[in-house]
Amino acid sequence: MAALQKLRGSNNEGVLALVLLALIVAMSIANPTFFTLNTGFSILRSAIVPVIFALGVLIVVITGGIDVSFAAIAIFAGYATVSFCLTSGYDPGLLGIFAIAIGVGAALGLINGIVIARFNLPTLIVTLGTQGIFFGAMYTYVGASYYAELPGSMAALATTNLLDVTTTSGRAYLHVLVVPVLILCVLVAWMLKRTMFGRSLYAMGGDLEAARRAGFQVKRNQVSVYVLVGALASIAGVIHIVLSRSANPRDLVGTELDIIAAVVLGGASIFGGRGSVIGTVLGVLLVQVIKNSLLLVGVPSAWLRTAVGLLLVVGVGIQAIAARRDSRRMRVIEDLDTVPKDEQKVGL
Amino acid sequence: MSPDLKARNEAPRTNTNSLRQFNDQLGSWTDRFVRRTGANRGAGRMVVALLLAISLFSALNPRVFLSPINLQNIAVAAPEIGIIAIGMMVVMLTGGIDLSLVAIANFSAITISTLHTAIATNDPDLANNLAIVIVLAGIAVGMIGGAINGFLVSVVGITPILATLATMQIYNGIAIVWTGGTTLYGAPAMLGAIGQAAAANVPVLFIIFLAVAALVAVLINRTALGRMIQLEGANPVAAQYSAIPRRAVLMKTYIVGGMLAGLAGALFLARNPTASADYGSSYVLLVIVIAVLGGTKPAGGFASVAGVVLATLTLQVVSSGFTAIRLSSYEYAIAQGVILIAVMILDSVSSTRTKRPKKVKSQPASEAPSTEPAIH
Repeated sequence: MAALQKLRGSNNEGVLALVLLALIVAMSIANPTFFTLNTGFSILRSAIVPVIFALGVLIVVITGGIDVSFAAIAIFAGYATVSFCLTSGYDPGLLGIFAIAIGVGAALGLINGIVIARFNLPTLIVTLGTQGIFFGAMYTYVGASYYAELPGSMAALATTNLLDVTTTSGRAYLHVLVVPVLILCVLVAWMLKRTMFGRSLYAMGGDLEAARRAGFQVKRNQVSVYVLVGALASIAGVIHIVLSRSANPRDLVGTELDIIAAVVLGGASIFGGRGSVIGTVLGVLLVQVIKNSLLLVGVPSAWLRTAVGLLLVVGVGIQAIAARRDSRRMRVIEDLDTVPKDEQKVGL
Repeated sequence: MSPDLKARNEAPRTNTNSLRQFNDQLGSWTDRFVRRTGANRGAGRMVVALLLAISLFSALNPRVFLSPINLQNIAVAAPEIGIIAIGMMVVMLTGGIDLSLVAIANFSAITISTLHTAIATNDPDLANNLAIVIVLAGIAVGMIGGAINGFLVSVVGITPILATLATMQIYNGIAIVWTGGTTLYGAPAMLGAIGQAAAANVPVLFIIFLAVAALVAVLINRTALGRMIQLEGANPVAAQYSAIPRRAVLMKTYIVGGMLAGLAGALFLARNPTASADYGSSYVLLVIVIAVLGGTKPAGGFASVAGVVLATLTLQVVSSGFTAIRLSSYEYAIAQGVILIAVMILDSVSSTRTKRPKKVKSQPASEAPSTEPAIH
C-alpha cells in the first residue's frame, strides 16, 4: 500500500503517467504509425518551448501567484535580441545571444516582481497590465517586422540534431535543444526540492504570512521568482525563434492560458504550495500527445481546443472533488495528523 | 551645530504635519461629498479619469477627436465590450472570474447567425418575423454556457479561474468546429437596424448599454440576490453561516454573466452582421482590465456598475484619442497596461495609508518598522 502510494506520487504524477501511457498504447493500437520514432521525436520537439514556459509558470504557481505576461516577455526578449544582432550586423555567438535575451527577460521580470512585491497587488492583474505594456513596447520601440533570416549562429543551431536515426518509415531527428531543456528541468527540480530558496517558495504558496513569520525574506523571494520566470521565458523565446527559423513578433502571445492549463493538469495547485517538475513535464507532454494523436485518428484539428478544455475540466474536477473529500475527512481526524501529511504533499 | 540642525529638521516636520492634516481634511471632505452624491470611489475616480482623457485629447486634436463621427464611434463601440465587462464585474463580485465570457458571446453570435441563415434560406420573411426569437435563442445559449460554468464552480467545486479557462477552450473549440474556422455572414435585419439607429443623435446601442447597466445596478443593490452575491464575495464564511445558499447564488451569478455575454453577442451582430469563433480574442483580458479599473475588487465583495460603465468609456476614449493623435494600437496597449497598474498602485497606497495613518509619528527613529506592517 505504501509502495503504491509512493508510485502515485505526491501530486498524482503516477496517475498522470498512467493516463499518458494508456493514451500512447491506445493510439498505437488505433493507428500503428503513431508508435514510431518519428512521432516520438516530433512530439518531443514540439514540447521543448512549452516545457520551458511551464517550468516558469510552475515556479510562480507554487508561490500562489499567476503570471500571464511570460509569453510577452519571451517574444520581447527573443525578438529584441535577434533584431539587435541583425541591425547591428554583429553575431555574438549562441552564448552571447542567450545572455542578452536572458538579461532582457530578467529585467522585464524584475518590473513584474517589483510592482507585485512592493505594492502587494494581485499577480493576475499586474501581469495582465505588464503583458500589454511589454507587447506594446516591443511593437513600438523594437520593431514589428518579420525576420526570415536569423544570425548565423542561431541558424546553424536550428538544423543541428542530437540523434539522426534512419528507420523504415524515414529518418527521425531528435533536435539538440532537448538537452538544455532537460538540464533546465533538473536544475529547477533541484532548486525547488533542495535549496532554501525553493523550499521558501512552497512555504510562501502555503501561507504568505506564515512564511514571513518563519523568517523568509518574502518580498525579496517574490521579486526573485518573477526575475527567474522572466529569464526562463526569454530562453524559451530564443529557442522558439531558433526552432521556427524566423523571428515573428506575433508569435507566442495568446498561448499563455494553454501553458497554465498544462501546468495545472500536471498537479500544481493554483492556490500555491503544491506542484512538481515531473508532474508539469507530464502535463505538457500529455497535451502535446493529444495534439498529435487527434490528427492521426482522423479527428479534425479544430477539436483540439475542445479536447484540451475537456481534459482540463476532468483533471481539475477530479482534483476538486478529491480535495473536498479530503477536507471533510480532515475535520474528523485530529489536527495533529494533518501536519506531517502536509509535509509529505509538498515533496517533488 | 547639532541643535541648529535639529531646529532646521523640526521646521519642515511641523510643516508636513499641517500639510498632512490639510490633506486628511480634504480627503474626508471629498469622501463625504462623493458619498452624498451616491457614487462610490470607483465611480468617482473614473469620472475624473474620463474627464481628464476627454480634455486631453480635445486639446491635442480637437478637429478629429470632437467630430460627431468620432464621438458616435465611441458610443457604438463601447456597448458590446461594456456589457461583457459588466458580466465580468458581476462574477468578480463573488470573488470569482469568468474567462469564458468572450467565447460565450461569440457562441451566441454564431448561434443567431446560423439560425437566421437557416430560416432565411427557406423563407426570408419568416426569418425577419422571428428575429426576436432568434436573438432570444442566442441569449439562451449564453445562459446555458453560464449555467455550465456555474455548475463547475458551485457543484463540482473547481476554482473559477480554472473552470472558466477550461470552458473558454471548450466553447471556443466548439465554435471553431461549428464554423469551420470561417466567418459567418448574415444576421436578422432587426439587429442591423438597431445598430444603425439613433435617438436624438445618441446611438440606440448606447442606450441599450445604459439600460442594461441600470438593470444590473438594480439587481446588485436592490434585490436579495444582489445582496447575497455581494456577501458571498465579501466573506464566504460569514455568508455560509448566514444560511446563504452558496451553490444557488453562484449558479445564478454565472448565469447572469452568461446572459450578459449572450446579449453582447447579439450586439456584435448589430454592429457588423458577421460572426466568427475568434472575434474579439483580445477582449478577454481587456474586460478584466475594465472591471478592475471600474473599482471592482479582484478578491470580491465590492464593485460598482457606474464605475465599470465609466471605465469602459474612458478606455474607449483613450483608444480613439490615440487614433486621433496618430498613435498606434500598440501604444494604446501600453497605455492600457500603465493605466491599470497605476490605478492599482494608487489604490494600494491610499488603502495602506488610511489603515495606519498615525504610525509614522510614533516611530520616527528608523525606516524599517514603518515599512514592516505593510507586508502581508
